[in-house]
Amino acid sequence: MNIDTKEATQAVRYRTDRWPRRVNLGQTVLHLILLALTLVTTVPFVWMIFASFKNFKELVSTTALLPKVWTLANYEGIFSRVNFIAAFGNSVIAATTVTVATLFTSAVLGYIFAKYHFWGKEQLFLLLLVTMMVPFAVVLVPLYITIGDIGLINHLGGIIVTGLWSTFGVFFMRQFMESIPSELIDAARIDGASEWRIFLGIVVPISTAPLAALAVFVFLGNWDSFLWPLVVLNSPEKQTLPLVLAGLRNLFWTRYEIWAAGSILTVAPVMLIYSFASKYFIQGIAMTGLKA
Amino acid sequence: MAVQTVHKSKDSGASDQRQVAPRDWRYQLRKTLRRPQFWFGFTLLLPTLIWYWVFSYRPIIQAFRLSAVHYQILNPTASKFVGLDNFSTIFEHPLFWISVQNTLTWAVLSFLSTIPISMGIAVCLANIRRGRNLYQGLIFLPVVVSLVAVLLMFRMLMDSEVGQFNQILRGLNLPESKWLASTTSALPTAVGIGVWKSLGFYVVILTAGLLGIPQELYDAALVDGANEWQRFWRISLPLIGHTLVLVTVLLAIGALQEFTLPYILTGGGPGNATYLYNLLIYSEAFTDLRFGTATAAALLQFFFILIISVLQLKLLRPTWSY
Repeated sequence: MNIDTKEATQAVRYRTDRWPRRVNLGQTVLHLILLALTLVTTVPFVWMIFASFKNFKELVSTTALLPKVWTLANYEGIFSRVNFIAAFGNSVIAATTVTVATLFTSAVLGYIFAKYHFWGKEQLFLLLLVTMMVPFAVVLVPLYITIGDIGLINHLGGIIVTGLWSTFGVFFMRQFMESIPSELIDAARIDGASEWRIFLGIVVPISTAPLAALAVFVFLGNWDSFLWPLVVLNSPEKQTLPLVLAGLRNLFWTRYEIWAAGSILTVAPVMLIYSFASKYFIQGIAMTGLKA
Repeated sequence: MAVQTVHKSKDSGASDQRQVAPRDWRYQLRKTLRRPQFWFGFTLLLPTLIWYWVFSYRPIIQAFRLSAVHYQILNPTASKFVGLDNFSTIFEHPLFWISVQNTLTWAVLSFLSTIPISMGIAVCLANIRRGRNLYQGLIFLPVVVSLVAVLLMFRMLMDSEVGQFNQILRGLNLPESKWLASTTSALPTAVGIGVWKSLGFYVVILTAGLLGIPQELYDAALVDGANEWQRFWRISLPLIGHTLVLVTVLLAIGALQEFTLPYILTGGGPGNATYLYNLLIYSEAFTDLRFGTATAAALLQFFFILIISVLQLKLLRPTWSY
């Protein structure tokens, strides 16, 4: 039976059919709910931005959004007491190094596990996957001892070297690369391309979408990483941004307006990138969820 | 080389024996060594395996060894084997049961709030016609932002005297709450902040799952006279079953390992109201410098998480698929 959907829909009468056609109750309700949630998600940030320009007295006395007196003293306070720029630089170096390394290793290993066939491949992959199941707290102390033995305590390398490979990245890239037609690769081999040429010239360009998603994922994970840097980095000039930010609690006890300035400084770069690339962020996460 | 050759006669007929190279392991090995794919894979797998050994497998093995000794930091080789003593020390730790209780409460609360809310929002997002990307972008914002910055933000907003939340309540003549300062409201408040931070993540995953359901199924149900509730319960929910299971497992594993949130937000809470298990592990390891017991505590947590994950996957595996 081939029922035309539109006719079938019209065959079912709704209460709302009596209303004027412009009022789409369903859509309006949905939009209201979403609007409410969006406000809940964004208002704290808006508040923080303006709070960072207020002085303490004004912050605690009124609930008005805009400051009556705009002041930059909070930002000055942060830059003078805390080496914010150094911390920012540390975070950038660590996060970008780890992201680049992880992208490379995940792509290569994903390619190998997806397109190569060798004895013990599945067993090896399972072995790698098993490491994902172990919570970080278990290896926290042994890793600390290992990094100590290598001599990378209180050194940025200590948090970089533990992030060079990512089992999740390998898993994610393998899932994607399995869908690359093997014929492409075989054709390139027949034409005499070297393995590196095949990888860099065919496989990588095809995989830019999942690579970008993985890059975002790894970068954010490392940028916001707290426990491991807390354990490894001890001196203030080596610390990453989240550590310095957390230190503001003690340095500026209940000086909330300075906290606001620090938070905005930390959050602003990411928010800026996010405002342009939000679609890619979200698509990446959605891809992760669907593939799993 | 045991290559069997035969005289090549001028008249090579079908009955001639050909040169046969035996397929023994030496031959295979040399053949493999010649293949470029082998070298590509080898040069990349070797560092990988070395890295995994040093930074993944060896630490795991070391963890088991650590949990069974009384670790002397200044002279590790003199660490005394104490067997399961570390585990009983952890059980007798004054904060052990409090932290376990808090962690479980945290997990349950965050699960009960995140799943219904994110499911509801995902349904809304999947059904609106316009503006989906904009809403998703804004709802996802807290996920992207630095957790530490967000925690400082909420500590500021929820200060019981000068925080904005209470100021607004005061202005509306509503009863104020002590938010993070009272032992009864600290844990739920902290859970709420955690939910606020991660909601967008689960909303995006669930929305993607919902959007993957073909419209024809809904049309067919509409023809058969199903109302919205039935359409949701009988079509949407079953068909995102595997996504829901993923979300559930992720939530559980995440909630049981919370560290940064309680550490920065409340440092364990007023009293021990927000003292979670990972805070215990951290303080054992780096405040009291008792590596052995700390690792034992971590291993306990590992086993627990393993059991929970296996149970979840077994019990919740959906049987429908399309």
